[in-house]
This record gives sequence, structure tokens and C-alpha cells, in this order.
Amino acid sequence: MKISLGVNGEKRELEIEPYRSLLDVLRNDAGLTGTKKGCDVGDCGACTVIVDGKPLNSCLMLGVEAQGCEVVTIEGIRHPLQEKFMDLGGAQCGFCTPGMIMMAKALLDEKPHPTEEEVRFAIAGNICRCTGYTRIVEAILHVSRR
Amino acid sequence: MSVVGKSVRRPDVPGKVTGAARYAGDLALPGMLHAKLKRSTVAHALIRRIDFSRAMKLAGVKAVLTHESVPRVLHYGSPHPRSASLACDQYILDRKVRYWGEAVAAVAAESEEIADEALDLIEVEYEELPALLTVENALASSVLIHDTKNNLVTDPVRVKRGDVDKGFAEADLVIEGTYEMGRPTPAYMEPNVCVAQWQEDRLTMWISTQTPFMVRGILAEVLGLPLAKVRVLVDHMGGGFGAKQDLFQTEFLCALLAKQTRRPVRLEFTRKETFLGGRSRHPGKVWLKQGFRKDGTLTARQARVTLNSGAYGSHGPGVTAVGTAALTSLYRCDNLMLEGKCVYTNTPIAGAYRGYGVVQTYYALDIQMDEAAERLGMDPCALKLQNAVREGDIAPSNHAVVGHGLEDCIRRGMQEVNWPVKKKTKNRGWGMGCEMHGSSAYPGIKEQGNATVRLNEDGSAQLFTGTTGLGTGAHTALAQIVAEELGLRFEDVSVVHGDTDVVPWDIGAFASHTTYMGGRAAQMAAAEVKKQLLERAADALEASAADLDVSLGMIRVKGSDKSLAVKALVSPTRGVPSKQFVASATYTPTKSYSFAAHFVEVQVDTETGQIDVLQVVPVHELGKVIHPVAAAGQIEGGIQQGIGHTLTEDYVIDPVTGRSLNAGFVDYKMPLSLDMPPIRTILLETAPDPGGPFGAKGVGEDPIIAIGPAIANAVYAAIGVRFRHYPITPEQVLEGLKSR
Amino acid sequence: MKRFEYFEPATLEEAAALLAQGAQALAGGTDLLVEMREHLRAVARVANIKKIPGLAALTYGSEGLRIGALVTAREIELSEIILQHYGSLAQSARELGSIQVRNRATIVGNLCRASPSADTIPPLVADGARVEIHGRARPVPLEDFFTGPGKTVLKAGELVTAIVVPPPAAGTKKVYIKHGRRKAMELATVGVAVTRTPGGVRIALGAVAPTVIRARAAEKLFPDIEKAAAAAAAECAPISNVRASADYRRQMVRVLTRRALERVR
Repeated sequence: MKISLGVNGEKRELEIEPYRSLLDVLRNDAGLTGTKKGCDVGDCGACTVIVDGKPLNSCLMLGVEAQGCEVVTIEGIRHPLQEKFMDLGGAQCGFCTPGMIMMAKALLDEKPHPTEEEVRFAIAGNICRCTGYTRIVEAILHVSRR
Repeated sequence: MSVVGKSVRRPDVPGKVTGAARYAGDLALPGMLHAKLKRSTVAHALIRRIDFSRAMKLAGVKAVLTHESVPRVLHYGSPHPRSASLACDQYILDRKVRYWGEAVAAVAAESEEIADEALDLIEVEYEELPALLTVENALASSVLIHDTKNNLVTDPVRVKRGDVDKGFAEADLVIEGTYEMGRPTPAYMEPNVCVAQWQEDRLTMWISTQTPFMVRGILAEVLGLPLAKVRVLVDHMGGGFGAKQDLFQTEFLCALLAKQTRRPVRLEFTRKETFLGGRSRHPGKVWLKQGFRKDGTLTARQARVTLNSGAYGSHGPGVTAVGTAALTSLYRCDNLMLEGKCVYTNTPIAGAYRGYGVVQTYYALDIQMDEAAERLGMDPCALKLQNAVREGDIAPSNHAVVGHGLEDCIRRGMQEVNWPVKKKTKNRGWGMGCEMHGSSAYPGIKEQGNATVRLNEDGSAQLFTGTTGLGTGAHTALAQIVAEELGLRFEDVSVVHGDTDVVPWDIGAFASHTTYMGGRAAQMAAAEVKKQLLERAADALEASAADLDVSLGMIRVKGSDKSLAVKALVSPTRGVPSKQFVASATYTPTKSYSFAAHFVEVQVDTETGQIDVLQVVPVHELGKVIHPVAAAGQIEGGIQQGIGHTLTEDYVIDPVTGRSLNAGFVDYKMPLSLDMPPIRTILLETAPDPGGPFGAKGVGEDPIIAIGPAIANAVYAAIGVRFRHYPITPEQVLEGLKSR
Repeated sequence: MKRFEYFEPATLEEAAALLAQGAQALAGGTDLLVEMREHLRAVARVANIKKIPGLAALTYGSEGLRIGALVTAREIELSEIILQHYGSLAQSARELGSIQVRNRATIVGNLCRASPSADTIPPLVADGARVEIHGRARPVPLEDFFTGPGKTVLKAGELVTAIVVPPPAAGTKKVYIKHGRRKAMELATVGVAVTRTPGGVRIALGAVAPTVIRARAAEKLFPDIEKAAAAAAAECAPISNVRASADYRRQMVRVLTRRALERVR
């Protein structure tokens, strides 16, 4: 099946199988491997991308469902979050990081000055096994305080 | 110091926050096939018949392997230098299945979907054998899982010191208890993955592993190849926590499928398979008996440690040995009788996981110290201080302890939280737990740290290290060490790692080895290069080498303003190096111990039984902190795993069928962002180890050991119910409250 | 995951025809795709119903609340109207999965999956919701919609088009309390929804019986909260599984029913 969608601001036309997830389409057909597959069943958030302004698990969306949509992945953003994650220890192994940053960006787009509780609530669907979340939350709050 | 001690920007992180960092699963090679494994649905059985003819007929299927088509070579699974792994009990695929979920066949196909469909077309006929699902059953049964006596993985570990009978006779208080440990699993975010490609008779494997040289060695041995024909590449890794040290059947199968199909093959675990085919922590029991004088001094300690290995040995012998030996220390005692056993059962394989047996044994030890304190009418911190291991005591590695790190941690923590904390609210309480852990895998493995440092013609340096990058920031620390030792700016040092063709041999990243062993070797190599530099500079600056200093890339004559840039010295003629400034160093087995004391406040909802961790104050003594943010990050992450171990994480195996009941994130419950408490990390440098780079010691495993008993002890303070196991479920809290 | 055939029906009739031939409806995908990946369901044909017009509306008027089949949990979570008039539904939506999941998961999908522990079912049962089904003239009361774990009255070819919830009487209070081991990403071990009207109280219990149930004996005992809570615990029929034992669930029904009733007293 042929789909046409916007990926990181660029129009892409892709020939894909209808049974493939948006996650697999991004990683294999669009060549964007920054978005990660942690569980493939919507439990971990590592595959979070933003579609038409909404953060979602790309493993739970079929590629064909993204026809006509605007998709933003980690490769498509330049955001102060990335700098703060680097400086404050928000990333260790980095596997959860792309999904975490996309979810945090979606939060800040909607709520530029969240409380700590609101930050933790927003990333409740993003699992990190390395940091204990302390420095991730710190990095997000740091950006929000600007 | 100009570089060490600063939280410099880690060079591996920019790629991680932009998505550019490549992990093994991101690699796409032309013509690559996808492999999947068929897994058993019985816990213990012979394979009577396995027929994949229907699978081969499915369009897109390129190869299928079963036990009948792979080399029948026994290997260790956990392929360390033989001193540590003593259980040579795994075949690539066997005609016998020993746990529910063990791989019995491998398929390579044009797509993952086709491979998945092919699995259903492989017919397996099992002849079931009695399944031994508990340690008790396994020890008592005449049915053998492997050909070992009583289903023991190896001979029991025994440690004897002094005279325990005399010690108990002298005691005013004798206390004993049985402590039971569940089955947490590491649950790293990146599922296990490898990609294999052959070029003629040369195999290249991209893989997420902590031990590339071990993978190279065992692949070469089992596949009958010389080492030079196997190249193992590790890019970024999405976590390992110890559990990515083994070979998982997958590496061999991936290589053999690639050989047979003459195409590259990728094999990636699903999340479910990271449970079924991965490695969890050893469940087990610790029976512990100690004697105390009425002033609190320990007089005797006796223990029997029994760990559940699962279906194969993996790290069982090592974990049992290290966990049992740990009981010779932490709280000093001259009279010891310890025994450690590791038992096969028909359950998923337990292996190496951060803390390596010490999580289990110190959970028991530290909780019993609190129990003893109560019976003696002493404050638990006072009792632990009194018996705390101190300088000169012989540590489990048989080295003498350096400094008073444990006492320093306890005292600092007490100060920080105002111990003893006055109980203000009902059902709230503070508890404390201690630990010590060694850096390096010695003496279990006669290991070594190796490093090569080389200067480029622009005066920058490259460190070649065989240590792997799990994601902890260890390579940044190594670069800082080299920069500090050599006198360069941090930005001018880069690290080459992850290619067995290029970097020096290393056991890999585990046993908190990287900073201590890898770092010391890096420091030694850097020191040698610095010597070469200064010898040459002495000529150029007409001074003696002893009067020269290097700092931030500039060589200076002490007490004068004569100076020379390193860059200028290395290539006075533009772009052509004056000579090769290069040195290698090997750091041979030694050991140092890091210490920690965790202070934890919990609140218990006595109607639902739920335990909330309100705050954690972890105090860690590390010798020398190379990178404060990275060190704190290790501690905070270890605490997340430890809170999970103690309260909510348990990989459950059905007691009748051996089936995995929660092999996924829905029902394997790790603490998430809303569950984690504030953590106030305190780092101490009061006991630097002369064997470590700038006195530094490891930190990776310590936090996960101390947090568990701290929580259990805090729960007792909150509600007066003593738990001697993990995980502590809400149901058990309610039961405990009822019988209080 | 195995391969499947994919369809995009343009009308309800086309969708019904596909479903009658055994295709599975795909709305949010947060249950269907998961079950297919975990090999819990073998699905050869998938019909994406998101191209059918008229299913995405969320409206509130004199007839009450109308939730179209494609309305997501996130829309419910963020709706001011729902927060004001259907507070227990809003709370249940808020606790369903993660924000990422809620941006896709539909309320109707949550109902049709018919898991006894589904978050949005107890509040909707407590609120007296009705289910509108394409292919049936009369809506089905939600309480009668479920026949067992994972089972509904839907016949092959039938598709839910909307849920309708009556408007709340003045002074109505609504509460939903979910019990889980962690603070997020949980399947309820117990779910209690209470709707308190001037006329009395409706209590719906989730995860403690083959379907969500009304605790009718407990309702009759209100305002004696202790007695009502005890009755609710006696009325449920929980099972033991890896998440919790039957006994613990029963205890939690009592505790949470009591807490919920205290909040609406």
C-alpha cells in the first residue's frame, strides 16, 4: 500500500505493508531509527512520537493509519530539553530517551510550566530503568522554568 | 583537579537525545533476514520428534534449525574465564527441554511476520518428564535435570573461620531466622539483539552485550573458528545490569542461520522473550544465625544460602560464591560457618544481575541486625556502627579493607536525617540498610584491566579500552581519567571501544570493574605516554623532565614561564607526528570495596497494605568521584530497581506447569515516575583506594543492595511488622497487621 | 505478529458486512494490536472503522452525554463538561494506561473489549449508560451488555456506534476509585464507581466478577456506609490471579466502597 505523510516537516511517500506498525515503518521504511522498540505493546513509551500534535505509542498505530498525518520523531526536533537531558544526567543508556523527550516536549507544548506532579503524571507511561527518573524530571522542570 | 570530579558532558549522550546513537537493532544490512525462536510449552521433556517441513514450505522462509542440525557442543552459557563459570551444561539446542519457554528451533525468513507464522508450522512432540519447579523438590527428587548429584549445579561453597560453637556459647543473645527472596528480573529497556554476517569464513556479529570478548571466545570455540575469524562489535547498549553477559542460544543460532542462508541475519527478542530467554536474579532462601554479646559485639555467624539456578547453571556458581563470601564481612565476626548451594530447577534461567548474590545475603544480614538491635535494646545504627567492618579487616576478597567507609556512611546519614527520627505520624517510619561491594570480578575471575593510549598528531589522545558501554557513562569517566593523568583537556580525549579487532582484551563491563580496573589501566597507560611526552619535552624546553608539568594541553617548566603546547611537541612539522606516543598497560587482579548506607522513610496504608517510599537518603563512599552526575545516576537507578525488588517486582512461574505468568510490563511491575520518591544522594570520598584511578572505586551495584533492607527495616519502624522476604506485597502487610 | 488483510470501510454497512465475515474492528488499536502481538488472538482481517463519518462526536445536551465510537479516552479526560457532570468517568479515563495510550484508546473500544477490570465500565454502569448498536433498533443498557469476561451481546456484524449517558440530576456526586499496585499503568485489581443522586446510590464494581456488577444489596443499605461496604464485599465474586488473590480483592472492595461512599455522603 502506498501512503503519503509528513515526517519531520518533509513530505514522504512510502510503499508499505498494511500490517506494519508506524514504529516499524519509521524505523525500516523511513530510515529513522531514533524511535525505539522496547515492548511493541504500548507498555513502555520508548516508541513515543507526535502525530498531528498528539503524543502516542507508534507501536500501536499501523503505518497505514498515518496516511495524511504530520508525524514528528526525535530526529525532527531541536529543543532545549535535549540540552538539559545532556547536562543534568537525564539520559544514561539512552534507549528510553527519544520517547521520553517526545513525551516531555508534548507536555511542554500543552503546559509550558508544569508542576513536578504534572511532569511525573505526563511521563507515567515512559519506563526508564537506568535513572530512577530523578534527573529526567529535573531536566524537564529546568526547561519549564525558563 | 581539572577534569576528574567534574560532571563533564558525556560524549555518548548527544546521539542519545537526537536519535542518532545506533544500537544493534538499528542496523539494517542489505538482504538481511529476520530470525525467530520457537519456544517450548512444557517445563521438562524430551523432544521425541521435531518436524519443520511445513515451515520450510512457507514462502519467505529460508532456513530452520533444530537440535538435529546444530553442532552438539557443550558450553558454559556464561562464558567467562573458567575460574568463575563452573557449569558447562548448555548445548546450542538440546534434545531435552528443561524449562517452559526454552528455545527448541530457530527460523530465518524474509520478514519478522513470516518468521512468526513459520513458528506455528513447526511440529514438536514432547515426552514430558516430571517437572521440578521448586528447590525443595529438586533436592529431594531422583529425577535429574542435568547429570549432577541432587540437582546441585556444583559442589556447595563452604567458608569456615574460627569456631562458631564457641562463639555461640559466648553469646548473650542468639538469634536466627530464614529469609526468602523472590525473582526480580533486570528488564533493561533494549531487548537482546544480535546481527550476524559472514564474509567468506569470517564472522562479524553486532550485538548488545556487556562481554564482547567472551562472546568472541565462545563463538569461536563452539563454531570451531580461530579467534581472528570472529569479530564482535558493540555500539550503544540499552542497559544490561549484568544480565547481558551470557550467551542466550541466540548468538550461535543467528550465526548458524547466517552461514546456512549466506545472508545477514538479525535476531531480536520480543519483550516477552527477555523474560523467557533472559536472565533473572536467583530466587532463594538464607537461613542465618548470629550470636551477640550484650554490648552488641558479634560473636558468631552461621548461614546456609540456597539459591535457585533455574534450568541451567549460568552464573549460579559465581553468584552463590560471591553472595556467601559476602557474609564473611560487612559486620565483623571472627567465627563463621557459611554454606552456599545452587540448585537446578525446571524454571527460567537465573544469571548475573547487579548485586550478584549479595542483594540476597545482605537482605537477610541487615534485617537480622535490626532484629538483634531490638532484642538487645540498642539503636540499629549504633549496633551496626559497633560491628561495622573497618580498616585492616579482611574483606571477602581476602584483601584488607582500606579506610572506614562504612562507618563514615552511617554517621553521615544519621546526621543528615537526624537519626533517630522522632515518630510523628502513625504508620510512618525510618529504616536503614548497609552494604559493601567489591570493584572487579576478582577473585572469582583472575581478571585484568587493559588499556592503550595513543596521541594523535594534533596532540589529542585516544584511549582504546575493551570495557563496554552499558550506558552508565563509564567511558566518559575513563576519558576524564586519561585527560587528568596526561594533562589534556577533556575535549581532547576520545574513547575507542566496542570492536574486538581493535581494542585490548577485557572481561567486559560487569562486577563494577570498569572504573576501577579499566580506569586504573587507562591511568597507567596515560602515565606512560605522559612520561614519553615529558622526556621529549625536556629536550625542547631545556629542562629536566622532573621539572615539567602538563595541564590542559600545555607543558610548563615549573616556576618559569617557559611552555610548549602538547600539540606543538607532538608534531612540530605540521601534520607529521615526531614519533608515536603510545603505551599500553595491564592492571592485574586486585579489589577494593565501596560502601553505602541508605536511610529510607516509608508510609504504610494499613487498610490496603500498600507501602509508599516517601524519601531516600543514600550515602555512598566511593573513594574518588570521577563524574558526580554519573555516580548519582547509578545510585538513583539502582534504587529504582531495589524498590521494585522489595515491593512490587516478581517474575512469577506457575507452581504446577512451570509456565511464566507475567512475562511482560503489564504484570511485571517496576516503579514508574509517579512511584519514585525524592532521592537526596550524598557522595563521600573518605576512603580512597590506592589501587583505583585517583583513588576511585566502583558504584554500579552498591545502591541496589542497601535499599532493600532499608525499606524492610523502615516498614518495621512504621507498623511493627517484621518482614523477612521480598517482595513484600500488600496482602502480606494486611496479614502481618492482623497477627501483630 | 502475523500478516493480515486490511480494509477501510467507508460506511457502517460496509463495516458490518466485513465484521459479519469475521473481520475485527480497529478503532484505537490499543487492545486489538496488543492481543495480536501477544498471540492471544489470531486475526486474519482487520477493518479500520475510523474512516466512517459520524462516529467521532462527543456532545452534551438535554438528552445527556453522547460518546461516539471513535471518541478517545484523552478527549474524555480533558473535557470540561465531563469533568463537571461525569466526574467518575473523567477520573476513570485519566487512569487508563498512559497519555500515549489515551490519545488512541476509545471508550467504546474499552467497553467492547469487555475486560472485567476495564476502567471506564464501572462509572458508566453507575451512571446508567446505554449502548447504541448499528443493526439494532433499541439501545442496550450497559449493565446488560456484558455476558462474561471478554464477552458482550454483540452478534457477528454488529458494531457499537455510541454510548449515551443520562444527564445527572442536580446535586449528583460521582466517584471512581481504582486499586492497583502502582500509581499508573495498571489494570485495576479492584474498581469502584459510585454515583450518588438525591434518590440514592448506585455502586458498580469492576475486576471482582466475570463482568462489572452492580452491588445492589450494598446500594440498599446506604447511608449506613459500613454495612454497605461489607455487603459490597459479600456480593462480589473475585478470582485469584497473578495480580491479587480473591481474598485481598474482597477486602479491597470493602475498603474502597467505604472510601467512595464517604466521599459522596
